[in-house]
Amino acid sequence: MFTPTKPTLRYQLTFEGSWPCAVAFVGPRRLAAANQLGNIFIWDLPEKPPEFKADPKAERQAPNVWPTRRLDGHTNEVTRLIMTPDGKHLVSASLDHSVRVWPLNGAVAGKADVLLDEDARKREARRTGKKDTSTAPSATVETQTACEVLEGHAEWVYALGLSGDGKRLVSGDAASKVIVWDFVARKPLSQWSGHPWNWIAAAALSPDGKTAFVSENRYKRDDFDVPTPGLKLWDAATGKETLDVLKVQFPKYNASDRSYGGSQVWRKFVANGLICVAYSPDGKLLAAGQGGETDTGKVHLHDAETGKLVRDVASHQYGITDLMFSSDSKHVISVGRDTCVRICQVSDGKEVAVLGAPRGGQFKDWLSAVALSPDEQWVAATDIAGSVQVWQLGG
Amino acid sequence: MNPPCIRSEHLSRRALMKAALGSVAGGVVMNWGGLTASRAIAEEARKQKKHCILLWMNGGASQFETFDMKPGRPTGGPFRPIDSNVPGIKVCELMPRMAKQMDKVAVIRSMHTSEIDHPGGIYLMHTGYRPSANVRFPEMGAVVAKYQGTEGGDLPDFVKVSSNGDAGGGFLGPKYQPFGIGSEGSLPQFSTSNMDPVKEAKRHDLRSFVEDKFATETKSELAKMHREAYEAARRLQKGRDAFKIDAEWARSKELYGDSEFGKRCLLARKLVESGVAFVEVGQSSYDSHADNFQWHRGLVPPMEHAWAGLLADLKERGLLENTLVVWTGEIGRTPQINNRAGRDHYVRCWSTALAGCGIKGGQLYGSSDENGVDVKENPVTEGDFFATIYKALGIDPQIENYAGLRPIPLAQFGSKVVNALLG
Repeated sequence: MFTPTKPTLRYQLTFEGSWPCAVAFVGPRRLAAANQLGNIFIWDLPEKPPEFKADPKAERQAPNVWPTRRLDGHTNEVTRLIMTPDGKHLVSASLDHSVRVWPLNGAVAGKADVLLDEDARKREARRTGKKDTSTAPSATVETQTACEVLEGHAEWVYALGLSGDGKRLVSGDAASKVIVWDFVARKPLSQWSGHPWNWIAAAALSPDGKTAFVSENRYKRDDFDVPTPGLKLWDAATGKETLDVLKVQFPKYNASDRSYGGSQVWRKFVANGLICVAYSPDGKLLAAGQGGETDTGKVHLHDAETGKLVRDVASHQYGITDLMFSSDSKHVISVGRDTCVRICQVSDGKEVAVLGAPRGGQFKDWLSAVALSPDEQWVAATDIAGSVQVWQLGG
Repeated sequence: MNPPCIRSEHLSRRALMKAALGSVAGGVVMNWGGLTASRAIAEEARKQKKHCILLWMNGGASQFETFDMKPGRPTGGPFRPIDSNVPGIKVCELMPRMAKQMDKVAVIRSMHTSEIDHPGGIYLMHTGYRPSANVRFPEMGAVVAKYQGTEGGDLPDFVKVSSNGDAGGGFLGPKYQPFGIGSEGSLPQFSTSNMDPVKEAKRHDLRSFVEDKFATETKSELAKMHREAYEAARRLQKGRDAFKIDAEWARSKELYGDSEFGKRCLLARKLVESGVAFVEVGQSSYDSHADNFQWHRGLVPPMEHAWAGLLADLKERGLLENTLVVWTGEIGRTPQINNRAGRDHYVRCWSTALAGCGIKGGQLYGSSDENGVDVKENPVTEGDFFATIYKALGIDPQIENYAGLRPIPLAQFGSKVVNALLG
């Protein structure tokens, strides 16, 4: 039961060296997070956080725990992490053109010393006037290389989504290619392409895996050459388009119009791209978040049958980066460039909880991804300032 | 020890007298730089029939996402280098078509310039000079129009297609102002006369009569300029077909890429083929303070497709030998990636590129340090860049024109031609 009350920051997991950009719970207290270098780390969080006394003026407001394992294989930014419903695998998508499936608790390949707090050490050295900072490892972790690689993309893979039953997977890349996988067989089931100039920014599957919800867009080619975005439903098995959600919203929308004037039709709705999408677990709603750097990013909620806009929820200054539904489909959890996690009621759009706080000033870091633990009592968000923030709900 | 001054750096007595007479007769503003840069020099240069196409990356394209990649370094970003058709030269994965044209291209990876913001940078990289309250420097296009243009031709000598910069003819005068074409490539409205030709001819006769009379009575240079501009607009009616690309676009779309920038590049080729001395083609929006990588993923592919198509097309038509293709913006971008996933303005070390017209292709000139922070070897200033461009175009960069009484060389005092770039 998801009860988004009394959120308490329990951990600030130090993850420096490169921006953390994807996160997933891989167990009730087990967390995976990845960065732009392609490193995936696993943390085993103790049931009770270590003793920690917070200085209200300090950056650190919760204790750190070092990771226990590193999954080695990706060679470029990891864009998405998803745990399979059976809790046995972690699926990752990357700018290295690959989708990888990692067995959780797979064989240990070796051990490695890792340095994850170099920036913190430098800050401390500046504060105390020390000349040299230590480069000693932060921790020693197990390494795992065992994984399956799903071959099929030849470009950056931005989009990844798993059906509710875990039997189908959807992935999408920067060459506008979408692949729906028979995840049990680890083989492509269908594939199609969006507009050739667009890239697939985000994708999700319906709970039964029969429908794919795909957002495609592209940054402009010139001020006067702005390709139109796409927000569509597709038959996952055949790759046939079943509903053009943008067309429902804008009947005069012309997908072949790439002029500046044409972009004014959709610009306010799409902002700098609907870069994160989700299908509600009850299959009734679609969510799409306004991302890229924009004025205020909102989550559009659409009826999954008609495509009609039900309402906008959340409000992240400068844009949304990731979103998800709670398992009862009653709440939307979103993160963004305002360094906050916002939890909103689907029924009326009311914001019921805000985790974290805007750090002040324009363009002050952002939270890049969000995850909810299987028991829905913990929320984790990756922070580009170099950490994974973990809150406990319900006090 | 300072090198001895060259003769052209001094104001000759004859030039001084001419300038003084000019000042008395029409005021220094009307000097339009034409006193010492004699018609003979310009005519001699014009015999070479050289052309220039400037590909202007407005806002400042990132060197890290094009020609000076730093994979694996903290400044590197997510793109990866790919091999080109020149062993040892790698370019960004966003540029697969340009990778196959690198044998024609000389990349300068050691630009070190002096204006870090857009207005100053746009002025600097169009004129070769920093903005000045006292002197209105002419753009590169105006200089090329003067020295490689066709006097009295049907087409303008300096055409800008959806581009930037407002220095124009500067002290060379309104005769060398650019002829501007909008983003969609259509001719400006004023260039089309809806009037019946007979009626228009009668009006023209009347206007000429009035202007002649006015010019005789007032000795006004402005009247002459107005007359010349009007005549140029009338002549343009004969050359209008050079601006029409619709028929050719259908078969060139694949070569240039289906983009507005591709169309502009095709138009540039067509204009050069028709005799236009200088065409500037702009692509906007490189000012990627936020989401730099997404922006470049959006902007670079259509640009590089068009650029590669342009080089191949010029080569195929035998035009590349006498057409210099310049690729630059006003600034580069910072090595550091800011917390908006962007790169800010940077001029300590950035990249430009040249091709055609005697440029020795297939080379990387200069280099940056391991993080792309500073120039490691062979710095090239804006003055050097312009001097090299003029030299490649058969124009002596030391030629002086006058802004009032002041002699101004085409490329800044002290700038040097980068001879290694010339074949």
